[in-house]
Amino acid sequence: MKALILVGGFGTRLRPLTLSFPKPLVDFANKPMILHQIEALKAVGVDEVVLAINYQPEVMLNFLKDFEAKLEIKITCSQETEPMGTAGPLALARDKLVDGSGEPFFVLNSDVISEYPLREMIEFHKAHGGEASIMVTKVDEPSKYGVVVMEETTGKVEKFVEKPKLYVGNKINAGIYLLNPSVLDKIELRPTSIEKETFPKIAAAQGLYAMVLPGFWMDIGQPKDYITGLRLYLDSLRKKSPGKLTTGAHIVGNVLVDETAKIGEGCLIGPDVAIGPGCVVESGVRLSRCTVMRGVRIKKHACVSSSIIGWHSTVGQWARIENMTILGEDVHVGDEIYTNGGVVLPHKEIKSNILKPEIVM
Amino acid sequence: MGSSMDEKVVAVIMVGGPTKGTRFRPLSLNIPKPLFPIAGQPMVHHPISACKRIPNLAQIYLVGFYEEREFALYVSAISNELKVPVRYLREDKPHGSAGGLYHFRNLIMEDDPSHIFLLNCDVCCSFPLPEMLEAHRKYGGIGTLLVIKVSPESASQFGELVADPVTNELLHYTEKPETFVSDRINCGVYVFTPDIFTAIREVSSQTKDTATLRRVSSVEALQPATRNSTDFVRLDQDILSPLAGKKQLYTYETKDFWEQIKSPGMSLRCSELYLSQFRLTSPQVLASGDGTKSAIVIGDVFIHPSAKVHPTAKIGPNVSISANARVGPGVRLISCIILDDVEIMENAVVTNAIVGWKSSIGRWSRVQACSSLKSLTFKCFCLVSLNNHEPGSILCRSQAEGVYNSKLGVTILGDSVAVEDEVVVISSIVLPNKTLNVSVQDEIIL
Repeated sequence: MKALILVGGFGTRLRPLTLSFPKPLVDFANKPMILHQIEALKAVGVDEVVLAINYQPEVMLNFLKDFEAKLEIKITCSQETEPMGTAGPLALARDKLVDGSGEPFFVLNSDVISEYPLREMIEFHKAHGGEASIMVTKVDEPSKYGVVVMEETTGKVEKFVEKPKLYVGNKINAGIYLLNPSVLDKIELRPTSIEKETFPKIAAAQGLYAMVLPGFWMDIGQPKDYITGLRLYLDSLRKKSPGKLTTGAHIVGNVLVDETAKIGEGCLIGPDVAIGPGCVVESGVRLSRCTVMRGVRIKKHACVSSSIIGWHSTVGQWARIENMTILGEDVHVGDEIYTNGGVVLPHKEIKSNILKPEIVM
Repeated sequence: MGSSMDEKVVAVIMVGGPTKGTRFRPLSLNIPKPLFPIAGQPMVHHPISACKRIPNLAQIYLVGFYEEREFALYVSAISNELKVPVRYLREDKPHGSAGGLYHFRNLIMEDDPSHIFLLNCDVCCSFPLPEMLEAHRKYGGIGTLLVIKVSPESASQFGELVADPVTNELLHYTEKPETFVSDRINCGVYVFTPDIFTAIREVSSQTKDTATLRRVSSVEALQPATRNSTDFVRLDQDILSPLAGKKQLYTYETKDFWEQIKSPGMSLRCSELYLSQFRLTSPQVLASGDGTKSAIVIGDVFIHPSAKVHPTAKIGPNVSISANARVGPGVRLISCIILDDVEIMENAVVTNAIVGWKSSIGRWSRVQACSSLKSLTFKCFCLVSLNNHEPGSILCRSQAEGVYNSKLGVTILGDSVAVEDEVVVISSIVLPNKTLNVSVQDEIIL
């Protein structure tokens, strides 16, 4: 089976993290974002993944060679020379997706994190026999997204409504599709939107079915949702493979610590914390609801909550980092500094307090 | 002590490195600061072409931390164009401003120069180098500094010095003092004899012996020993201060302009200074027009030959338009830098802004700095920060006073930014690859 992951553009909403790495390679729960999806696809028998990208292919390709070898799955890139929208990339990668077997192929949106019940989706697709299946998820505020209006029992999709002003339903497009190769015949090789052009065509022909996504779903394309997404992800990990989470007297709630990270004495870590490879957390540190990326050092007595600490940064002694502070790569927060929602670009030193949300260039 | 026709001169230009240039963001996200265009030429081009006026110039070295490949193209192009060898030397680790010079002494001395100029790339001035050299020869010391008189209030940002009014000897030097010492400051342009290397070596051997009582923060202590190593020698504190008053160092005062290009806003100010200098030295470089066959040009304006400007546009004063830019009908540009491949559509207005490579400015849109053109003074930043901001909006932190130094003073659009039709952008900084479809004021768009 084949799959296409829509990686798209510049990841500007995840700056400053995306100033150091292209978005799919930004770590989430100690793994590059895109690796979560590639692993889920491999698990249901996908043997080739095509990445539709239009930015920094060289950086991506280097990393991917690594994953290809480790996972034994073929990974190729399909590069857009101009932005092709959400359907154009499928037409662009046509040759790689159609292998003559007639098997459907997956399309995933790279910003999305979920439990990826892809096996159930394959069954659902076979059962209804339609041309295309999409995952939908229930949200509290549907008007922020594209709402899918569907028949509750069969899942047959009636129509798509983009950011509806009045309530038409609470299920939105989760960005996970399973499509028959015939769908590619309906997509022209030009910038085109799958929700606005392709799917409505298939829905009108009664060929589009929606499955409600079991488990959590999150678009982690921006820092606030990234932090919420980590909570949902770790929660799901607790249910499915609790062995991966870290336990101990100094751990509270769901915490993921890479085996190469070191944690000192007298710390209190958790809930909802991910600590990446090579990190050093010195003694007396309190961490909650935060992501600590590769190579970070958190010095004694510091306190970090609801924040993201970027690769190779350091947090000084007795520093307090909270309220959606995002530190880019190689940022050094001095001893005893307080930052409340500071967004700090890479390669900076913070020597004075940031008392209210501020961007530090 | 007359000048000898065989005596060669070498110039060294310190260009810094990527992690040092964070104040020049967001422009430095795409290009090393020394290559950023000022008055139509890369920043480092101005000191380099000033060096060309030095008699018997044998070689120019650019010293910095950037990767070699970032300078490779520029260096070979400029060597060809100016017919003088220019070479980029990469420092492997920080040596300090004097240590860097010392580190490459063998290369520098290869041509057996009698004098060595040391310039900082981010200094904007008239570079009176031949005059400095002549003065230096008369003084007979080991070094001569370019100095300038500034206002007493601003002097404390720089190295303040005291010179003998008769002999011009450097009597006293202190870096960024807290109390007032003098209104004469160090411009960051020096000429030395090769004895300077002996002086640097003596300083570094002294630091080996003396204990340093310096409080080191825990973050610093973690870094690989750089400041603590003996080959880290700073020119100001370690060489100029101790040697002052010993009849070794002298000063040459310039009465022309002088600025430091530390922030993107300053590059606009310095562009203005260099453009007005072109008016005196090479007026053919500047654009002119009266609205008949080409656009109306007011004041000092540079338009790259490949740029297309509609005849109904009005450009200037202080505008610099780079290669392949397209300026549409009825556009008004005042005090701005328009970089390569920018497209400005009909009837747009851009003032006090820097528009990054490949950006597009929509029809009837307006890109400007502070709300009032008249308030382009020191007070501007204070006004901006006192405005009431909506909760949740993000205020930028500035490092120095003055609108050109204030990050919120000059509007900066990074590369590939699209400003849609009729949108207004005031005092904002927009990072690359963003599209603005609503008006913004006093914001940083990440």
